[in-house]
Amino acid sequence: MKKTIQSIVLMVIISSSIVACTKSDTATVMPVTAVTVKDIPADTVVGLSAQGIPITNGKYTFYSLERNTIVPNTDSASTEWDIAFMSTRIITNGGTSGTGLGGAFVYTGLFDGLTSIPTDSVFKTDNAPTSYAITTGSGNGWYNYDGLTNLITPLAGRVLVIKTASGKYAKMEILCYYKGGVTLAATASDADKLNKQRYYTFRFTYQPNGTKTF
Amino acid sequence: MRRGLLYLLLLLSPTVLFAQVKMVKDTLQMQGDSVVVTANRSERKLSNITVPVNIINAKQIQQTGSLRLTDILKEQPGLTMTSGFGAGVQLQGLNPDYTIILINGEPLVGRTAGVLDLNRIALGNIKKIEIVKGPSSSLYGSEAMAGVINIITDANTNIPLQASLRYGTYQTLDAGINNAIATKSVFYQGFYNYFSTDGYSIRPNSSSRVTTPIQRYSINQQIKLNLNDNTNVSFGVRFTDEKIKNDISVNNGGATITSSGNENNTDQNYNISFNQRYSNSLKTSFRGYFTEYNAKQDLVTLSGDPYYDLLNHRFQRIENQTDWNANKNLNVLFGAGAVWEGVKSTRYDSEKIRKNNSIQYGFTQLEWSPIQKLILIGGVRFDKNETYASAFSPKLSALYKINTKHKIKLSIGEGFKAPDFRQIYLDFTNAAAGGYSVFGTAQAQEVINQLVQKGQIGALYDSYYKLKVLKPEYSTGVHLSWDYEPNTNNFFSVQVFRNDINNLIQVQQVGAYATGAQIFSYLNIGRAFTQGIELEAKHKIDNHIIISGGYQYLETGDKDQIDQIKAGKVYTRDANGYSKILSLNDYVGLPNNSKHKAQFKIHYYHNNGLFANLRIMYRSKWAVNNTNGNEVFDNGDEFANGYFSLHTSIGKDYKSGFSTQLGCDNITNYVDAANLPNLPGRTFYATIKYQIFHKQ
Repeated sequence: MKKTIQSIVLMVIISSSIVACTKSDTATVMPVTAVTVKDIPADTVVGLSAQGIPITNGKYTFYSLERNTIVPNTDSASTEWDIAFMSTRIITNGGTSGTGLGGAFVYTGLFDGLTSIPTDSVFKTDNAPTSYAITTGSGNGWYNYDGLTNLITPLAGRVLVIKTASGKYAKMEILCYYKGGVTLAATASDADKLNKQRYYTFRFTYQPNGTKTF
Repeated sequence: MRRGLLYLLLLLSPTVLFAQVKMVKDTLQMQGDSVVVTANRSERKLSNITVPVNIINAKQIQQTGSLRLTDILKEQPGLTMTSGFGAGVQLQGLNPDYTIILINGEPLVGRTAGVLDLNRIALGNIKKIEIVKGPSSSLYGSEAMAGVINIITDANTNIPLQASLRYGTYQTLDAGINNAIATKSVFYQGFYNYFSTDGYSIRPNSSSRVTTPIQRYSINQQIKLNLNDNTNVSFGVRFTDEKIKNDISVNNGGATITSSGNENNTDQNYNISFNQRYSNSLKTSFRGYFTEYNAKQDLVTLSGDPYYDLLNHRFQRIENQTDWNANKNLNVLFGAGAVWEGVKSTRYDSEKIRKNNSIQYGFTQLEWSPIQKLILIGGVRFDKNETYASAFSPKLSALYKINTKHKIKLSIGEGFKAPDFRQIYLDFTNAAAGGYSVFGTAQAQEVINQLVQKGQIGALYDSYYKLKVLKPEYSTGVHLSWDYEPNTNNFFSVQVFRNDINNLIQVQQVGAYATGAQIFSYLNIGRAFTQGIELEAKHKIDNHIIISGGYQYLETGDKDQIDQIKAGKVYTRDANGYSKILSLNDYVGLPNNSKHKAQFKIHYYHNNGLFANLRIMYRSKWAVNNTNGNEVFDNGDEFANGYFSLHTSIGKDYKSGFSTQLGCDNITNYVDAANLPNLPGRTFYATIKYQIFHKQ
């Protein structure tokens, strides 16, 4: 009995790999896998003013999901980047934010569970400063802010579904907003809360073939 | 000037003139069959009480070295002290908002964010504290949802003029004078207390103190005149004034703002009552009560900006209660009253205009003993409120004495809590933190409408259209207990309880400004429960030693959250930080609740006046912060560690009238600055007391 099952399983694996091979001959299907990116700075605090108010440069960090790398600020007016971060605000390369075809929406559910983007989904584009494709504000989009502890935590069960600058699709889950990939304890010092914030850790899957499946 | 006059009057009161002599013999006792007044609103023997009651007597308070109400309540089974807005008390898992605190049957007012700071109450002249568990709104109205704590200072006993002085760690000083005289025609009691502490800081290298320097005066005067055998009148005044030196550092968007100044809180209570007995079976009492709590914070930031915060709560009540003993087996009680109360606050639209509410209420209770072994009680109360919906609170309870050793009690009652003034009138915009606003329900729609016309509103949510006159929060509580007293040396009890709370008032976002800043108001939306088991045991080893223990197992939960979790709509994170669906097993319920709590105490007492005790308290871990990005508390969140605390004291009452006491609280020096700011490290104290007119 056990043997029969094993052989069936084996057969299925073999036959499916044959199918896969046949397919790859016609269209190049690369396996889409999730990539985790750590500690992307997003307009981090660089100092304090004489009045004790934190100073930042007020600049976005641009990122290419296609190439999995940070894009220099000099390329901000290009389609080189897909997504950009500045403190808790995330923009996409489209609408008022960029020249690309980009857009996004926030999906409620599990990252792994989102195997294909529902056909009735609407990708929103940024319309600064009144609205953003990835909704801003605590509890609205991807994060929650606790006024008591001054901590930002990414909401669990939220997936950012992104249309890239070139019109391809990607999904992303924000994992952490603090340096090192671990949210600070409520008891952490004010200095740590100030200086270790604004570092994104996230995982994403980019689908290069233009389809809405992952 | 007026206050000065008041002090003078109080000081000239006849404390010394009336000083007399007679001492009540008070030895080591088991619970005994003392008299309880809170459970039935009428004097009843403990053995005939149908609901769960704990009694703390004066001896216990003295021997444990307790100074403030918080000190003694934290050692009682089923109670937990909370921190934040002063020290409040959580009863069977319900927040401080849901327990009414009475002094001689009259309610204390002046809650900040629902919490009455129990440090306000000095214990020096307290005869006993009665704690009734379970909804008791059928007798006491609003706030008596988890239970009632009644602090009783008037007992017809003499206390020789007595002065006490205590000094301890952090320069904590407590000085008191206490005196009571009971004759056939007059009962007088006077109590003066001064308390001060330097405060302490349990965070290393921090200048800001967890407990700031405090100076507190309390005065209590009471006089009762027996006009004849059947008529008496009584007057009482209670006055507390505290000055707290505040040095606050607030983190505002990363900037630390330091302010310093004073906080001044006063609490005044005046009561008058007229009691008439018409016959052995009929008596009535008229009571009048006025109380005012005033809290003022006057601070200046380092850069010179003033910060001023005021809360003033006035409460006036008249009430009549009639007790009719229809026959040997049937007691009827009925009463009615009216309340006028008002609050002024800088957090409302204008601090100059007092927001008022009036309540008219009536209640009745039937106590019937069809057979000797059984007592049945049914009660009901109706509260008609001016500014929010009316409340109807029934209660049924029963006591069955199986035999002399076993008793079973069952009670089912409704409790309610009126909406807070802030939930109705708050008008608060936090300009510093992003400009969000919170509006009370009385004007939320009006204010938002005006903003709409001005074009300042970006969005209105469904919840905005659901805004309406708030209803009180309701709970239904069921308590079942079994008491077992095999002999006079042993006592054991088990209690099972469940409270279901509906209509919980919660802050809800109702819209957003055009700028994106949020607008909040209040809606009756939440549903929650608490349930658990309480065990208590006492054993008298011999004439000198009593050991006692208590344990509480507690479960709590938000019913809507549980529904969401069951539907698979709540997420949490796994060890990698990846989202996953939260399972009900990982849900921990309401924050700040420990599953396990226990106390163990040994009391020693010798006929020569020597006494000593050791008290051990345990509290298991409790959820404090939602750190994993969902709105519910689960095992992935931040918890405060469970802990033990040990306390001891030793003392002696001398025949000369002197008594001395040495004590150490928190022997193991357990501290948790973030989660237990009210628990200082190890502290020591020494007390000396002298009874001037002491006689053998």
